[in-house]
Amino acid sequence: MHNELSSKLASLVSGSNPVVNTPATVGDSSITVEAATILEVCKALKSEGFNVCQCITATDYADRIELTYILADFTKNLEILVKANLGRGDGNGNNKETLPKINSVVSVWNAANFLERECYDMMGINFVGHPDLRRILTPDDWQGYPLRRDYIVQEKYLDMVVNPAHKINSADHMFGKNLKVEIGDPKKVSASWKSNDADEIEDAKDGE
Amino acid sequence: MQDSVVMMKVDDFLNWGRKNSLWPMTFGLACCAIEMMATGGAKYDLERFGCGAFMATPRRADLMIVAGTVTLKMATRIKTLFEQMPEPRYVISMGSCANKGGPYWQHGYHVLKGVDEVVPVDVYVPGCPPRPEALIEGIMTLQKKIANERLLRDKWVKHA
Repeated sequence: MHNELSSKLASLVSGSNPVVNTPATVGDSSITVEAATILEVCKALKSEGFNVCQCITATDYADRIELTYILADFTKNLEILVKANLGRGDGNGNNKETLPKINSVVSVWNAANFLERECYDMMGINFVGHPDLRRILTPDDWQGYPLRRDYIVQEKYLDMVVNPAHKINSADHMFGKNLKVEIGDPKKVSASWKSNDADEIEDAKDGE
Repeated sequence: MQDSVVMMKVDDFLNWGRKNSLWPMTFGLACCAIEMMATGGAKYDLERFGCGAFMATPRRADLMIVAGTVTLKMATRIKTLFEQMPEPRYVISMGSCANKGGPYWQHGYHVLKGVDEVVPVDVYVPGCPPRPEALIEGIMTLQKKIANERLLRDKWVKHA
């Protein structure tokens, strides 16, 4: 299905440059297209019968942000993943102009409206042409985009301290590790708060 | 003797009335609210303690049960709701999230680390979420606290 769709897309949308990704072991196949042509690609896919936009989500890799559109065709019982790669832009601050830009697909599926707002809120992607691009989960005066890798937790929001020192017991951070050191056999400890890496247990031993 | 025996009796009488007609606010934030609803339902029946009349407005409520995760966005609203409640007013912090941030204690960028950062809390109920029995225990603890208050003396007898 992916190869047929990919060749169809290549002929329907010039410059979309579709590439089929097939994972070697586990995972779903997907089609990666050029980010600049996403609106045309989505229009073409809708005319092909993909009438439902189930999800728009994003993944922050170190060097890029990958947008994933999960589309479904309910008459033929198909589901595809369409991906587009974007630059990371500058996500610290509230300036929409410095964020990575992509065309909004609200004109194709109305369901994309809230999905794109969530994507903007959590990952900081500027959907150009969106009718109402506001934050959807966090408050309007929030700084930064929380699910980005380089997000820095605010020290204060309004007059509330986010991580008050008297509430954070740093000894608790090492509780699972220390327990593993005490018990000796890490398999007997079900504390999974931190990595099970043996090196970290060694570090904890050294720290004492 | 500044305290008269009669004053104490009036206090006790008022406290008896107040502690047996605590009206909580209809207010739930997360999964703890499901347990709170179960507590108010037929099986655990909060009405046995005079505490089952969940008021739909803070202006008619005595008790706020903060049941669930307090996000930073919600914290300002909680403060507003608390300020709208008439005095004397009480707050029960229900569940780990409302007590101290719960599972968001380390990486919760959006969670207030305990509702006592914004409103004064009378009783903390631990658990994730607490069972209805635990919430009932918390409410009974609050009733004991109310039974020992001296509202009239605090209000009118300045040099008691």
